[in-house]
Amino acid sequence: MSAALRSASPRAEAIGGAAGAGVPLRVAVRLAWLLAKPSANGLSSSVLPVTAFAFVTALLLTVVAGGLAFLQWQDETGQLYLALAAIATSLLVVPLMTLGGSAARLSARRRDGRLATLRLLGAPSGTVAVMTVAESMMLAAVGALAGIVGHLLLLPLVQLIPFRGEALGGAVWMGPGPVALVALGIVALAALSAVLGLRRIVISPLGVRTRQQVPKLHWWRAVVAVCVIAVVSVVMGNLGGAQDFATVVVVLAVGFGGALGVLNLIGPWAIGVVARRQARSARSLERLLAARQILDSPKAAWRQVSGVAMTCFVAVFAGTGAALMNAAGPLEGSERFLGDDVRTGVLITIVASFLMVACSAGITQASLLLDRRDLYVGLDRLGMPTGTMEASRTRAVLLPLLVVSIGSAATAVVVVLPLAGMALIVAPLSVAVILGCLAAGVGLVVLGLRATRPVLSHVLRNPAAAL
Amino acid sequence: MTPFQHGRPLPAAPAHLPPAVLSARGLVKSYEATRALAGLDLDIRAGESVAVMGPSGGGKTTLLHCLAGIVTPDAGQVLLQLDGATTDVAGLDDRRRSALRRSTFGFVFQQGLLIPELTALENVAVALMLLGVDRRGAEHSAAQWLGALGLGGMEDRRVGQLSGGQAQRVAIARAQVSGASVVFADEPTGALDSGTSAEVMDILLRSTTGTGRTLVVVTHDDDVARRCARTVHLRDGRIVRDSLCPGTAA
Repeated sequence: MSAALRSASPRAEAIGGAAGAGVPLRVAVRLAWLLAKPSANGLSSSVLPVTAFAFVTALLLTVVAGGLAFLQWQDETGQLYLALAAIATSLLVVPLMTLGGSAARLSARRRDGRLATLRLLGAPSGTVAVMTVAESMMLAAVGALAGIVGHLLLLPLVQLIPFRGEALGGAVWMGPGPVALVALGIVALAALSAVLGLRRIVISPLGVRTRQQVPKLHWWRAVVAVCVIAVVSVVMGNLGGAQDFATVVVVLAVGFGGALGVLNLIGPWAIGVVARRQARSARSLERLLAARQILDSPKAAWRQVSGVAMTCFVAVFAGTGAALMNAAGPLEGSERFLGDDVRTGVLITIVASFLMVACSAGITQASLLLDRRDLYVGLDRLGMPTGTMEASRTRAVLLPLLVVSIGSAATAVVVVLPLAGMALIVAPLSVAVILGCLAAGVGLVVLGLRATRPVLSHVLRNPAAAL
Repeated sequence: MTPFQHGRPLPAAPAHLPPAVLSARGLVKSYEATRALAGLDLDIRAGESVAVMGPSGGGKTTLLHCLAGIVTPDAGQVLLQLDGATTDVAGLDDRRRSALRRSTFGFVFQQGLLIPELTALENVAVALMLLGVDRRGAEHSAAQWLGALGLGGMEDRRVGQLSGGQAQRVAIARAQVSGASVVFADEPTGALDSGTSAEVMDILLRSTTGTGRTLVVVTHDDDVARRCARTVHLRDGRIVRDSLCPGTAA
């Protein structure tokens, strides 16, 4: 035995040496290219992240360009418009970044399995890191390019939107520099997300391969979130004391953005708490499967519905804003267009939110189905009716949806209350906008789920591709 | 279950043999240009353990899928005889075949195909909950099966926390907890080492043929086949050899 070990030692040293030196960068990039090619990888694994990145880029460019267009007015009313645009942009940028993060994770997650296998085969962590980041950046770059094209196609429509009595026109075009900067930001986001997602594989290839690790979300998330919301609420309540207008704008934008960011922190935790309770008490198979699926990754469950959470958050502001303008009555002078313009802005903000919801729900659902295709085929073979699979899939989305819709609307009320007062929040117009947005958001997610039914049918009709 | 009405008459079993529980008659199945089954006839008797062997692409898995109603043959019949009724499995619509798989058949696959986010107990209970049994009752029966298969104390483990052999035992429990009359196993030991493989086969045989159920195993492994009462060799979609294994009880 010892002789055998001795004779093997030079080879072992050689292997150790090679591993220590690492795999050359060009090998890692070549492997990344091989895995990224649709022919080797299955078209869906590349198309989905690219589509997601394209949507994110197009929407982000359009939102940022729309916000910057308000810089054209320098008068006092123009500053008010700029403040409102900053609020609307901050409300949309955070969910857009969340959606961007989802797209990036989608891109990285679809490679988890194969990358973990490469780790098991002995690929050094550096090689896996380079491959992951390179693949994600490649997909993000392709998506960003497609998104720029989408933005350019949307631009003529956005230029027609009237503010202050005239169409926005050429002011919406940011120029090639900022467009390229936003696209590079998307690619950087993809790289960052890939690096963060990578830690699990590098630390524990087996953990990702066999899904041993049950994610745990700590209650400190709730504590931090409550503290941040309380601070934002207090700051909003004392905003009247601010001396200059720029401070007000910055505080409003940061406050709303911060509250939205906090929703990302508390959302997965709250969903996990409710799902755990549901898993314990579930009587039917659909409920049990749905609850366990949520608990498998509360963060993924949150990402599926975060768009609606954001829309509900936006809806409270939109509804209050509409009620405020309604109560103010007709204005005169340079502010005579303010009422109509606020309504237009509110409409644009909500439409943009809905576009994000539709995009997020459709892409995430299709991706989930394709990721779990072997499981669905297996359940079909056991005799599980397609209706049961659909019911559990729907429940796995609707339960988090309910939790986050109510939670985010409540958070928004806490933030808006010091600014607008309860009378405006519960005004009929405000309530109508909030409930309308909630219903539309839920409806869109359900539509997104329905739209992916053919994917499940396709998976079940073509089991050979799954197993 | 739909009573059989238009099937080809089944030959009467010899007096010393139990009746056929599953009969394939003239099964033909093609995948594009590839003919997986080419007019295959086979009788599987109640309580029998049958190993289906042959080269890759010989039609083994397709035969198992046709017998189990997972796929429908292009031609031919699969006749199930249970409780005095005969059912043409291949002639049932998709919904009824699904119902038949839930109530009458059990499955053990190479990959286990357990639901990763459920615990071992819940994975077994799923089979009963699909039949409408309430969760408490389903989990009670599931716990008994897990205990009987040596997995007592592991009820709350997720699939990823089980070894390959343990996961296959969970799959075996799931296949039988609902009282399946016929258990189909597709390479049940394919991903296991020889020691664990023997252990899993012991449990599979003991819990199926040992209690009067029927077992159909697709395998490449001679050791697995030798444990079964009968071995059917397939090549190019036809049976080329059908032999009884000496020294096996069922």
